[in-house]
Amino acid sequence: MNPASVVLVTGANSGFGLATTQALAEKGYRVYATYRSPRKSGHLWQLSKRYRVFPILMDVDKKVSVERAVKQILKKEGRIDVLMNNAGFVMAGCWEDLSEADIEAQFQTNLFGLLRVTRAVMPAMRRQGSGKIINVGSIAGFMATPLLGPYSATKFAVNSVTEALRMEGRPWGVDVTEINPGEVQTNVVQNARMGKKVKSGTSAYTPFTLEMENWQKGRFAKGAPVEVFVKTILKVLEDRPTRRRYLVKMDDRILYTLRWLLPDALWEWGTGLMFPWSRFPL
Amino acid sequence: MESNPVALITGCSTGIGYETALLLGQNGYRVFATLRDLKRSAALKKAANGLPLEIIPMDVDRSPSVKKAIASVLRKAGRIDVLVNNAGWGAFGAMEEFSDEEIQAQYETNVFGLLRVTRAVLPIMRRQEQGRIINIGSLAGKMTFAGIGLYCSSKYAVEAITESLRFEVRPFNIEVALVEPGTIRTPFKTNRRKSKVFLEKSSVYQKELERILFFGNNPPASAPGPDQVAEKVHEALQDRRMAIRYPVGRDAVWLPRIRWFMPDFLYDFVVKARYAQFRKESA
Repeated sequence: MNPASVVLVTGANSGFGLATTQALAEKGYRVYATYRSPRKSGHLWQLSKRYRVFPILMDVDKKVSVERAVKQILKKEGRIDVLMNNAGFVMAGCWEDLSEADIEAQFQTNLFGLLRVTRAVMPAMRRQGSGKIINVGSIAGFMATPLLGPYSATKFAVNSVTEALRMEGRPWGVDVTEINPGEVQTNVVQNARMGKKVKSGTSAYTPFTLEMENWQKGRFAKGAPVEVFVKTILKVLEDRPTRRRYLVKMDDRILYTLRWLLPDALWEWGTGLMFPWSRFPL
Repeated sequence: MESNPVALITGCSTGIGYETALLLGQNGYRVFATLRDLKRSAALKKAANGLPLEIIPMDVDRSPSVKKAIASVLRKAGRIDVLVNNAGWGAFGAMEEFSDEEIQAQYETNVFGLLRVTRAVLPIMRRQEQGRIINIGSLAGKMTFAGIGLYCSSKYAVEAITESLRFEVRPFNIEVALVEPGTIRTPFKTNRRKSKVFLEKSSVYQKELERILFFGNNPPASAPGPDQVAEKVHEALQDRRMAIRYPVGRDAVWLPRIRWFMPDFLYDFVVKARYAQFRKESA
């Protein structure tokens, strides 16, 4: 891809978004990096002093905010070559412990927000006759674990959205793909939100919640460095056409393969071994 | 004397919900069949004559409505043994062209509605230390098809909900499963809502969408009917331990498996061939 390309990265103030912004900036791309909270945009403004990084305010939950930001970029650049839909967060808690508002908030950002940005950018890409959209999914997009039900549900849905957009976009030269990272050392766990009831002690699921929390933290502590994600993103940018789905490390690939090769019952039994509270008999 | 197990089924005015309510009614369940609009209950009322089946209003989109319906079931029967989450509909149109409101509406019923009912029933089932929840998923929850991408994504979410919930509620002896119909001869046509852009014929994908709609409106005669989905629900309820998935129809069994082994271009070819077969059968 031409390094003068215009890239839009959502949720760029930390984690995958920030790492990608920095890597692409170093390669010479013009990166429009969105953030929701000005308080947390410091890294981006620092990058903007050295590279062609343009921090821009965008709350993917809000239609007006998304449309204004996209319009602003198009006015300045006339085009958007790459969109990386990265903004998202984790809502943790058992289904019954979360409130309706908790669940909707998770969908609002991870799914509806992704669609909002995509729908705003898509017409411009169609007019250009080219473009690339990279949705940041997760291994939770093919592997649903307890306590992360809402997160998984949004990532499963992103998976489907990617495929639909891929079919729709192809005739227009718009290439849509998805990257599914597993545990990578970002602050996604520290930034996770939890339902109010989850740790209040009034829930029947409390022992399970604590068990799962430890399990997750343990996995993320052993997670891969964020560079493996960046390496994959660079590959996605070069690939033409892209593959339908990119995984970033070997253990994710093994999981993905097992998911499809194993019959449901065996898969569930296997993953269940990780959650003693709800172990399934084979 | 042990009383009949109590089943709560959502979305019973037509199709899968309707057939399931009748079948469970005939098989020893005390059925509470819910529908959004009581004006559409005449057919079910007539068919259920003499069966232990009660029709109650419930709009899964609305929390108060869900709570009220479940309270009335509890008052009458004292328990809920089986929940069949069937209420749902399909948005039709290009992903790019749905409005925020259309996207929200699709999820409001198919995902948030399902969760609303499920989350209201879970405390009851936990108290009973027993219960079964069957979500009506779809082949569209395993594979995405053009023109119904938004609907597919809502069904993907239902897959994740089912899989994660199974882990969470297992210690309480509550089981959760998916019944996944493929192409079905159902009045789904009436349960389809086309995007505004498509209806106004101003879609940039208009021609392609018209073509897809034609196939969608003309399922092959060989496709199973909603009664076969109801039988699958009954079969799942009889299983000693419910599996995760119960596909209905050959396409629902095989397409997802084939998909996995196929490169993208070959898969596209197969989908096209399948559409061609639909066209031939419906001609």
